[in-house]
Amino acid sequence: MSELRPWLRLMLTRRNRLLIGALLMAATLLAGVGLLSLSGWFITATAVTSLAWAAGAAATLDVYVPGGGIRFFALTRTVARYGERLYNHDTVLRLLADLRVSAFRSLSQLDGQTQSRYQASQWLNRLTRDIDTLDNLYLRLLAPPLVALLGVGLVAVFMALFFPGAAWPVAILLLVVLLLLTLGMACWGRALSDRQVVQTDHLRVRAVEQLQGLAELQAWQVLPEHQRGLLALEHNQSRDRRRLEERGALGQGLAVGGVQGAVALTLVLTLEAYQQGLISGPVMVMLPLAVMALAEGFTALPGAFVHWGSSEAAARRLNEQQALTGRLPVAPESQSVVSLAAMEWQGVTVLLGTTPVFRGLNLTLGPEEKLAVVGPSGAGKSTLAALAARLIDPDQGQVCWGGASLTTLDEAQWRRQVAVLTQDAHLFNDTLAANLRLAAPMASDGELWAVLEKVNLKQQVLGFAQGLNTPIGEFGRQLSGGEARRVALARLFLRDPVLVILDEPLTGLDPATAAIVRHHLNDFLQRRGALLLAHDPEALPAADRTLVLSSQGKLAPFHR
Amino acid sequence: MRPWLWLSVAAGSLAGIATVAQLGLMAWLVHEVLVQGIGVGDLAWVVVALMVAITVRALAQSLQGISGSRAAQQVCQGVRRSLLQQWAQQGPVKLAGESSAVLASEWVEQVDALEGYYARFQPQLWLACLIPLLILVLVFSLDWLAALFLLAAAPLIPLFMALVGMGAERLNQQHFAAVSRLAGHFLDRVRGLTTLQLFGGTPDAIQQVADASDEYRRLNMRTLRVAFLSSAVLEFFASVAIAVVAIYVGFGLLGYIDFGPATELTLFSGLFILLLAPEFFQPLRTLSQHYHDRAAALGAADHLLQRLAPEVTQELGKQALPAPPTALQAKDTVSVSDLAVSYPGRGVVVSQVNFTLPQGHCLVLTGPSGSGKSSILHALAGFIPATNGQVSLFGEAPGVQPLAWMNQRPFLVQGTWADNLRLAAPDATHGEMIRAVHQAGLKAVLAHQPQGLETPLGEGGRGLSGGQAHRLALARVFLSSLPLVLLDEPTQGLDAYTRQEVIAALKTLSGAGITLIMATHQQELLAMADQHLQLPSRGVANV
Repeated sequence: MSELRPWLRLMLTRRNRLLIGALLMAATLLAGVGLLSLSGWFITATAVTSLAWAAGAAATLDVYVPGGGIRFFALTRTVARYGERLYNHDTVLRLLADLRVSAFRSLSQLDGQTQSRYQASQWLNRLTRDIDTLDNLYLRLLAPPLVALLGVGLVAVFMALFFPGAAWPVAILLLVVLLLLTLGMACWGRALSDRQVVQTDHLRVRAVEQLQGLAELQAWQVLPEHQRGLLALEHNQSRDRRRLEERGALGQGLAVGGVQGAVALTLVLTLEAYQQGLISGPVMVMLPLAVMALAEGFTALPGAFVHWGSSEAAARRLNEQQALTGRLPVAPESQSVVSLAAMEWQGVTVLLGTTPVFRGLNLTLGPEEKLAVVGPSGAGKSTLAALAARLIDPDQGQVCWGGASLTTLDEAQWRRQVAVLTQDAHLFNDTLAANLRLAAPMASDGELWAVLEKVNLKQQVLGFAQGLNTPIGEFGRQLSGGEARRVALARLFLRDPVLVILDEPLTGLDPATAAIVRHHLNDFLQRRGALLLAHDPEALPAADRTLVLSSQGKLAPFHR
Repeated sequence: MRPWLWLSVAAGSLAGIATVAQLGLMAWLVHEVLVQGIGVGDLAWVVVALMVAITVRALAQSLQGISGSRAAQQVCQGVRRSLLQQWAQQGPVKLAGESSAVLASEWVEQVDALEGYYARFQPQLWLACLIPLLILVLVFSLDWLAALFLLAAAPLIPLFMALVGMGAERLNQQHFAAVSRLAGHFLDRVRGLTTLQLFGGTPDAIQQVADASDEYRRLNMRTLRVAFLSSAVLEFFASVAIAVVAIYVGFGLLGYIDFGPATELTLFSGLFILLLAPEFFQPLRTLSQHYHDRAAALGAADHLLQRLAPEVTQELGKQALPAPPTALQAKDTVSVSDLAVSYPGRGVVVSQVNFTLPQGHCLVLTGPSGSGKSSILHALAGFIPATNGQVSLFGEAPGVQPLAWMNQRPFLVQGTWADNLRLAAPDATHGEMIRAVHQAGLKAVLAHQPQGLETPLGEGGRGLSGGQAHRLALARVFLSSLPLVLLDEPTQGLDAYTRQEVIAALKTLSGAGITLIMATHQQELLAMADQHLQLPSRGVANV
């Protein structure tokens, strides 16, 4: 329960909407109660009256007020139901927006290292599913039991007005049933539903492995065994899923038995009260029917609460994500960034888990110097870049610009002064122009065409029917790999930084394009400092100095 | 699955009958006490019968759900099994064009989407026909005029729901592209967070996430406004039926209606009809609550059926193929004569391939991309049938004996070093595994692992460098001691340092008397070759 607290707090910012939604739900339920109980009262009253007439007594019955009441309740129930569903789904979608913004904000504050650890698609999958689980919290788990509780309370008060003797036992029975259907079901299904997400993730990972290893497994002729293993895993997952459904079904039976049992109890009690002359015949029928109409508020409870554990687990995972410590500290008084300066890595140690990427690394990049660092993949070139861009802070030592540690500089200002091309620069599912303008929101179309020319992409884009406004798809999939890389490069040319960091800028480009881009990069870098990273110096623009980073994280001069 | 589905329908019907009995007994009790003036004490048997009816109703309701979920589990497991067989049948070559993440999520999530359809919607579909019919017959025998009210409403409901459903669907199609783009917006921004940070774009992006979510809400609400009309229609009919029946019965009892069966109404029949009226609509309302199960399942089923469909054509295609090339007799060579491989739609990719490779030798295939290097390996491994020619792997046809396969991305699973090694040789001992790891040149790396062979690898082999991952896959080849290894671009995408590590391990493998056939365009590997097959851009190959 405590896991859900921060999320409940977030939802409470919309407490008026939640309240109105719950009231609409209650109105629907109570209109149903009114409709059925008044109809029962009316029929019995007419029967009693006609019996009195048959016996020769002079009885009167106003048929218009109850008739009007019945029509009123019938209409109210219809309108309230429609309004409730519409209003509450609107609320749920607003909550979804709140949750997404909140999750996004906390993710955007994480440092690069923590982020990259969580960028795996499996984790992202889970994040979105967890958010979807929580946006349903109100509509599935929060409002229905409260509305049912309100219904039980009001019906009990209504009964007490006529016959207090029945109100107590019936209210207690209904409350016990309500408790079993909510808390009871939640406890019973908790362990099973909690592990569903993990089981499903595991199943997906194993399935991906089988697909990726299909060639190997088939060649070795061990695929049948591997398939059996996967099916055994699937069997466990679907068995647990079925068990949850079965428990939900038993809860459903309990809801029916409990509420209808309360109806029968009310009927027996009111029958006796009638015979003792405590209540009239019509009231004797009205009260059990009022209880019967409450059934509607109970039916959805067991199915929702048996999955309580999955909501809790979703909240727990999101809390863990929000509590991640990998945040960059903000300097209390940020200094402004001097433009022409040297960058120094002073005794820098960076740990990846417990294994060091660097230990006590020292390196100086002079003002306007072009420094190339080459080395095998995984040696730590990207970490060097992340330190300079201040995507991460070193575990020991410091990175300085113009003698001031990066941690003391204004972060936003620093980001404006450094341009970085990472290996996995992301293209957004938007138009080409929007992706370019990320670097320069005010850039004119002419400027965009100019940078596209620098990366040898102008001709292709002129060929697109929508030109700059061409949507480039998810991950820029509408473009070829080389084209996507060049869009990321073009973005760089739109900026005016003092320091440029390029990670494998020319890799994946055909030789002709690489030559053109290299030429423009040489120009672009002229009055700026540059850190150039690649596996091979051939794949870089002209450098003043070249170092080799060994797989042990040590720097040495490069010799051909 | 059938028996469980029928059990679910039967249990649901029993619950319906018990409900009717419960309501009848309640009306009867009221009538006896109020009209006949009989004491509650004398009606104890009715009260007992009432309790029995309620118990049966509750138990039958549970049984309906339980058997429904059993039926659904059987369906889902059956579909999953077929999909696995389908993957195996299609083989790695045909599936290469598909994203394994997409296929896996089909196998997991899309199949799960079928669950609600079989567990809830299908049984309820039957019950939505059976139970109203039962109630209608009963009401008809009590008072045919009241039955006419229900009968009049019944055909209107599906009509209205269909109209509303069509409207919602049209709206949905209009917004489909926008809605799916907005649904992916959040994920896209999360994936690009580092890029956003580097461009100082996070504050804007937070606003964009909020805007996109709001737009998503607005578009969805437009569809929901129409879609929820269907539940409002049902609610309307259910409410109006109660109101109409109550007023009709009341006026009938008062004697204001003096035609038809109204004059014969009693408190028992009147109250019974009133209680049955909402139950008449209840199965339909439950069905409409499960309607989204159907929508989700139909979407998934469409997809899955398409996925499973090629099974049929493939089988037909197989029968049409000529008999597999007869194996040559030489037991100590790999020999290929006049081999041709073609793909449907792409035509002949490579033809007239000839070579004879003695056991323990190394053959290197080179040629520009698209020249058919990989296709030859695929045919040798038996992933695709040869269109023409003969292939003999030590006297056997391809696909008869196991062989080792490696491509540019080493296949590693989540688990320990040992789990990965045992993939090829499930019965390997600890000593054998250690020896294989040493042969693959990973002795020093293994020494650094805190739990030795039982050290877990991270997701996607994380914790190992690219070259180490390659060598771990090679260690598996050493371990399996298979006589033939096929390698497709084994050093592609590796830097010079890592490449040397892998080549060293390959040389050890070759030195151990294992036959290697590899496709590459890297000169360094050519130095290992005993034979070299140069493929032209398209066509004839010569040793």
